[in-house]
Amino acid sequence: MSFGMPAASGDSHQVLDNLDLKINQGERVGLVGRNGAGKSTLLRIIAGIYPPMAGTVWRHPEKTIALLSLGLGFQGDLSGRDNAFLAAMLQGMTKKEARSHLEAIGEFTELGDYYDQPVKTYSSGMRSRLGFATALLLETDILLIDEILAVGDNAFRKKARQALAQKLDADKTVVLVHHAEQAIREVCTRALWLESGRVRMDGAVEEVLASYNKAD
Amino acid sequence: MTNSQYFSLVDTIARMSLKAEAQRYYLGYVWWILEPLLWVGVFYVVFYKLLGTRTPDFLMFLAVGKLMFIWFSKTVNYASNSLMSHAGLIGRMDLPKSLFPLAVILECCYRQVAVFFLLSVLLIYQHYLPTMLWLWLLPLMLVQALIIIVCGCVASMLVAFKRDFGLLINLGMVFMMFVSGIFWDIRDITNTEAADALLTWNPVAFLLHSYRQVLLWQEVPDGMHLLNLGAVAVIGVVIVLRFMQRYSAHLARLVVSA
Repeated sequence: MSFGMPAASGDSHQVLDNLDLKINQGERVGLVGRNGAGKSTLLRIIAGIYPPMAGTVWRHPEKTIALLSLGLGFQGDLSGRDNAFLAAMLQGMTKKEARSHLEAIGEFTELGDYYDQPVKTYSSGMRSRLGFATALLLETDILLIDEILAVGDNAFRKKARQALAQKLDADKTVVLVHHAEQAIREVCTRALWLESGRVRMDGAVEEVLASYNKAD
Repeated sequence: MTNSQYFSLVDTIARMSLKAEAQRYYLGYVWWILEPLLWVGVFYVVFYKLLGTRTPDFLMFLAVGKLMFIWFSKTVNYASNSLMSHAGLIGRMDLPKSLFPLAVILECCYRQVAVFFLLSVLLIYQHYLPTMLWLWLLPLMLVQALIIIVCGCVASMLVAFKRDFGLLINLGMVFMMFVSGIFWDIRDITNTEAADALLTWNPVAFLLHSYRQVLLWQEVPDGMHLLNLGAVAVIGVVIVLRFMQRYSAHLARLVVSA
């Protein structure tokens, strides 16, 4: 498949270029590549947020999918609690279900009294902690993860990875985008190296990471 | 997403947004009533005190026209940005795109309830007491809400398509203000054909005129025209919502790449 983004000049800027890719159930794929290589666009196309300009995407019709990424979804004037409530509802929960998750989210984020303060008063670390906790609410078969493990300080990062690991059983399919290779080593069984919208290398995690680092 | 989930989400986004806005300003919810009131005040000073308009009971004439017009113009303006202002969310989740303009439209409806309450108080204070004719307000407001939904959704898609439409929509609202008889009376147009054409083809002018008939002049509005307008608006709503559903992914691409 291919994907272009309209540029201001009216031309189209090619983000994905004749990409051909198959991901099987239960696979955990790590995506590496420089900024602008097309990683986030690929995740969005797999998630069905928008279609490729050319080509097709086939996804098992009965499998549920979620794209987890941080930020941009929060309203600064609302409290963390209100934002968490909204995020839970956007993910398909009823008001009652959403309410029942609020305390757990508050605890997980370790925000304390800040949980009831407007999000605009948060530090970037606090925001991303809230983002992580609200992103991880859903139970889906396919998880597309865009950099959400790069949050907060070391202690919280460890906790975040553990929480994610708990969600991942053998049946779950994962596509992970992450700058920290350690996260890809921990989670993934296969790695893909994207460059200028094409697959430069596809294979075992260690091999792909070794080549990627050499090229860097 | 089921229908009940969808509507509960529209309602939640609308309420949260009201709450966020109230927290942004020192006077909070008071602005709901204060801002429209100030608009009426400014127009009153300009057209009555400075220009000396001769429309009888100009203050209430203006209040009815302006307060009901603000519902239309503000909502369409706000709704036009609704897709773009949720770009972050739209890039992450495959949500129905109509959610965003509809949430803004509902938010403005909640606000309008307060404005209408204010208008009623003004009317009663000026001895325009409620009569059975006020029942006409229900279909009038319903049709206005439907027209707002059509215009708001279309505006949000136009702005997602090209940001430039945002400027045109702003300008269009000023144009509508001038041609809908807010500070002048359509009955004063000496060319009756022109006046009829305006009431037939400008639904906002028709609605404002009908509100005044009911609230100020104790007249029965043109029910047949209202019915026609309502039917067209219902068809419009169905088409525009279907369109947004069908082209949901394309809208997402427009919004994310803008």
